[in-house]
Amino acid sequence: MAAASVEAPRKRSSRIPLTYVVALVPVAVALNIVGGQINGILKLPTFLDMIGTAVVAIVLGPWWGALVGASTNIIASFISGPIGLPFAACNVVGALVWGYAIRMGFGKTFWSFGLVNVVVAFFVSLTAVPIYVFIFGGATGHFSDIMTAAFVGMGQNLFVSVFSSNILVSLADKIISGFVALAIIEALPANLTSHLTLPKSEGMGKVMWITGGVVVGLAIALVMMMMQAQG
Amino acid sequence: MDDKKQVTVGAKEGLGAGIVGIALLLGFLPAASQSIADLDFINSEAYAILAGAVMVMAIFTGIAGLVVMLSNLSDDEE
Repeated sequence: MAAASVEAPRKRSSRIPLTYVVALVPVAVALNIVGGQINGILKLPTFLDMIGTAVVAIVLGPWWGALVGASTNIIASFISGPIGLPFAACNVVGALVWGYAIRMGFGKTFWSFGLVNVVVAFFVSLTAVPIYVFIFGGATGHFSDIMTAAFVGMGQNLFVSVFSSNILVSLADKIISGFVALAIIEALPANLTSHLTLPKSEGMGKVMWITGGVVVGLAIALVMMMMQAQG
Repeated sequence: MDDKKQVTVGAKEGLGAGIVGIALLLGFLPAASQSIADLDFINSEAYAILAGAVMVMAIFTGIAGLVVMLSNLSDDEE
């Protein structure tokens, strides 16, 4: 008589193979550095140095993302000078917010994922403003310095001016970075992302949403450039 | 048959990696603070820059410690 064999249900673990981590973390750092360099060369009104941070924070975890963020600014300081190193704190904060927000269940739909990116932008700006004001006196040579000067000229104090200009840049940057990261995550092996609850859509739907998110970020950036041109 | 067990990482290793990242930053801060203070348009002294950066790192280290104490670092299985 053949005994009926019952297979024990396969357990799915959130543990990730070390090989993926060893491969993904350096690539994410390189992605951040290349994004930042391209942004600097093209003098774009964004930063584009946190795409890799978002990918790793969402896929591997917030603290792996923090490692990517810290490593990015350390290595970038050897390339572009020491100005970027204090902003490693912003990269770490972004990683923690992205990572924990996704793990707490936010970002299951495209709208809520967009909202997560906005929250990341807010917290990163909050972290950046004291660095801008106390270390650099409000200016570092970035595009946003022009808007800061405009706000100061309108009579705003330095903190408010720096925050006002930085939040616009940060919003555009984090929305673009978040949705580009989502596109990259979509291309990763399924067993690397099976433990995550990310926005799902069939066929071209996800492409449309990601494209839409990037377009929104670009629109914010264009508005800033127009404000600068008129000011 | 060689049955190698795949090495995997989870929440505990991730937290450790983040703390290592903060430690790396701390290591580079003194030299970076002096380099930033040497820039022409910076009015702050190196010590003030270093002090502020160390305070920020202290906040991150404290958050990491709270995560160690309050989080369940065992990995979910379904």
